[in-house]
Amino acid sequence: MIRVLFFGPVAERIGCHTVQVEYRSGMLLKDLRDELAARYSKAFELVSLMAVNGEHVRDMALPLADNSEVVFMSKFSGG
Amino acid sequence: MQASVRIQHEDFSQDEEINALKSGSKRMGGIGTFLGCARDFSEGREVSEISFDAYGSMALSEMNKLRRDAIEKFDLLDARIVHRIGTVKGGDNIVFIAAGAEHRVAALEACRWMIDELKQRVPIWKKEITPQGDSWVVPHP
Repeated sequence: MIRVLFFGPVAERIGCHTVQVEYRSGMLLKDLRDELAARYSKAFELVSLMAVNGEHVRDMALPLADNSEVVFMSKFSGG
Repeated sequence: MQASVRIQHEDFSQDEEINALKSGSKRMGGIGTFLGCARDFSEGREVSEISFDAYGSMALSEMNKLRRDAIEKFDLLDARIVHRIGTVKGGDNIVFIAAGAEHRVAALEACRWMIDELKQRVPIWKKEITPQGDSWVVPHP
């Protein structure tokens, strides 16, 4: 299972902070993004940053491991 | 003494943070600080409150990396970063950054660099609550 987290404006558009996605062997970050972007298209209009297991990630071809924590994020506005 | 890097709901004391910074070294000849505050007016609207959402574990990890990077890049003697979350009102403190170095240039440049990097690297989002409705803040360059 992949645990996907959302925060701020992305979470607000989706209506929750967490979803679980079934892990599939060979699953890439791009696969997960495409699946969720189709389901939550308005929220994913805001997504420009991603993290896997707490680290910034830019490579959409990154293979995911089972039990990963993935976050799709809009630009930050702290400070 | 409190940790050098923190995310917390409660307000912080600038004096306590600066004293903690200074206590580590008597070679410190310059301390640069940045205090970010909540504005009560934004984009032509009154703002009654600002609320924060954060990916807490990653935000703290990124802030710790940011402090280590700044110490290395600017040859600092020490640095501290404190960011509030939860809900704050106009005029309240949001973020405090302090950089201590042997000389003023490194301290001031490091402080500016840290707040700019924090805005790019640390997963925190703020929402302005106004009488006309709420809106997430679009980051300023």
